[in-house]
Amino acid sequence: MQPFTVLTAVAAPLEIASVDTGMILPGRYMRRHRRPGHDYGEAFLYDLRFDEAGRPRAEFVLNDPIYRNAKILVTGRDFGCGSSREGAAFAAMDFGLRALVAPSFGEIFQVNCIQNGILAITMPATLIEDFWRQLRERPGAEMTIDLPNQALIAPDRGRHSFDISPLRKDRLVRGIDDIDVTLEFGDAIESFEARRRAAMPWLPTAQRE
Amino acid sequence: MTTARTLFEKIWADHVIVVSPQGEALLYVDFNLINEGQSFLAFDQLRIEGRQSRRPQQQLAVTDHYLPTINRARGTAGMANPEIRRVVEMMDENARDFRLPHVGWFHRDQGIAHVIAPELGISQPGMLITCNDSHTATNGACGALAVPIGGGNQLRHVVATQTVWLKKPKTMRIAIDGELPKAVTAKDIILSIIGDIGVGGATGYAVEYAGSAIRALSMEGRLTICNMSIEAGARIGMVGPDDTTYQFLADRRYAPKGADWDQALAYWRTLPTDAEAAFDRELSFDAARLAPMVSWGTSPEDSAPIDGAVPDPSRIDDADRRRHVERALDYMQLRPVTPLADVAIDRVFIGSCTNSRIEDLRAAALVLKGRRAVVPGMVSPGSSAVKRQAEAEGLDRIFIDAGLEWRDSGCSMCNGSNGELVAPGERCASTTNRNYEGRQGRGALTHIMSPAMVAAAAVFGRLADVRLLS
Repeated sequence: MQPFTVLTAVAAPLEIASVDTGMILPGRYMRRHRRPGHDYGEAFLYDLRFDEAGRPRAEFVLNDPIYRNAKILVTGRDFGCGSSREGAAFAAMDFGLRALVAPSFGEIFQVNCIQNGILAITMPATLIEDFWRQLRERPGAEMTIDLPNQALIAPDRGRHSFDISPLRKDRLVRGIDDIDVTLEFGDAIESFEARRRAAMPWLPTAQRE
Repeated sequence: MTTARTLFEKIWADHVIVVSPQGEALLYVDFNLINEGQSFLAFDQLRIEGRQSRRPQQQLAVTDHYLPTINRARGTAGMANPEIRRVVEMMDENARDFRLPHVGWFHRDQGIAHVIAPELGISQPGMLITCNDSHTATNGACGALAVPIGGGNQLRHVVATQTVWLKKPKTMRIAIDGELPKAVTAKDIILSIIGDIGVGGATGYAVEYAGSAIRALSMEGRLTICNMSIEAGARIGMVGPDDTTYQFLADRRYAPKGADWDQALAYWRTLPTDAEAAFDRELSFDAARLAPMVSWGTSPEDSAPIDGAVPDPSRIDDADRRRHVERALDYMQLRPVTPLADVAIDRVFIGSCTNSRIEDLRAAALVLKGRRAVVPGMVSPGSSAVKRQAEAEGLDRIFIDAGLEWRDSGCSMCNGSNGELVAPGERCASTTNRNYEGRQGRGALTHIMSPAMVAAAAVFGRLADVRLLS
């Protein structure tokens, strides 16, 4: 997993509340393989970005070429609410996002983001609205997110601190996911397993036929 | 002298490898079941990361949600819907690429994961079992700690490490004592419990079902009860192992044999909850007061005895509950105070991980023998082994002679992943576990009940009291 330390990148304002995981990753993409070169980036917010005929909606903010390299999304409350579909976080990641800033997030979605190296931080709604104003005034402006120091620097150079659990911060800064965390206990797992097998030789194992 | 412990606490403690500073435990997974559902996300990510399955022989992939229960001769080539076919193919590919044992299309054991794991003797007392399916607690009926996991990240973690991080739940004992009245089954017990405590009543708890009525149940009945733990909010449901458990397990393919059996049995006998052990919460029900149940609404807690009536929302004080009932009756196209036995149905479904085992099929066949169903319907055995057994007993003839379809095994119409759906506006009497809006198909009107009650509904063409037929 890519470590997250200090990110300076174009920030896109998505001034919508309650964007649910079904909007982030429409259901019809849920039965699709995700492979390098064939990822979920296309699916991200598909129905907001494209019309029924598959043409880009010119008025939709993320279709503005100035946001082509946006890595930060500043959006409304409850982003990622709704179904627990884990593909939604993949869609955001594959679209190229590394950080999401909103007044609140769907809880499962937020956990899934961190699992995939995306920082999802909460800021008060009044600040978010101020960021939107700044980003409207200066389209394509950059923001900086300094995770080690838990600070966000707005386009107007205003510095704002944010909260994150020490555990989540540690995982993102070190670029380790839950499997990496577990593998730090690899020896304990091995010895536990060996003891259990010796004590209970009858535990079932299946063969591939 | 150790302190008294519950069944859950003993199995939990036996599987803890480490505890994190945040209080989550890393637990060893003895066996992991995998269905096709969203599991491809886990395997896609593992592929991208270059990770393999750590212990493939402690996993079993089971294709159950997306298989058709009819017209199987041509395999995937015969599947009309390309998206459904693709999910089935992806499980084949993932099982192959990750070297996982796989019960697929034409395997002799083919069936629903939570039916075949106990049937093969995989689910044993004292084990920790995971599966990317919310009804995993079914396996807890065998005295195991069986936990549902997410189909993406959590499954990926179990496949790669054979461990799972879990927060320790609180414990709850639900005791059902006394003798069940005639025609009252395991399904009626669990629907009564859920109706009483609600769909969130056991959230955050590991539930142990106990009491003389549970002791008297067969393994099939216990599997039905544990199956619907999640409909009461509990991810974990279990029954302490006893002679019924041991007799059920003996000689099954994956059960211990010879000296291993003796050693295992000695261990299993140490597992039941100690007499002095304390639970965080205790509930008790009187079996003698239970009756055959049907659901009338859009949540498993919306259930009532068949001789009852549709509730009147205007007489419900709690505003949230009143709004729910109003919406449920609107969706279900039911009028307040209608007697439940007056509700006409359009079709029946007998199947699912809740009620598709041999005892369930026998109970339904007993009602249907020599009778005709006046509505269409289908019967889907829980596994190919159940199907073979039912055919050996002539149950298939009873269903077919009654006018019902005798299908192959799979999750089928329980949630319609495979495209076998109840039509919009159609009312279905079903042995399944969920009656949420759209569960069996968009606009489908589901009433859940026991297999015998579904059979009675088929005979009368309406919700009916099976006691009238016996």
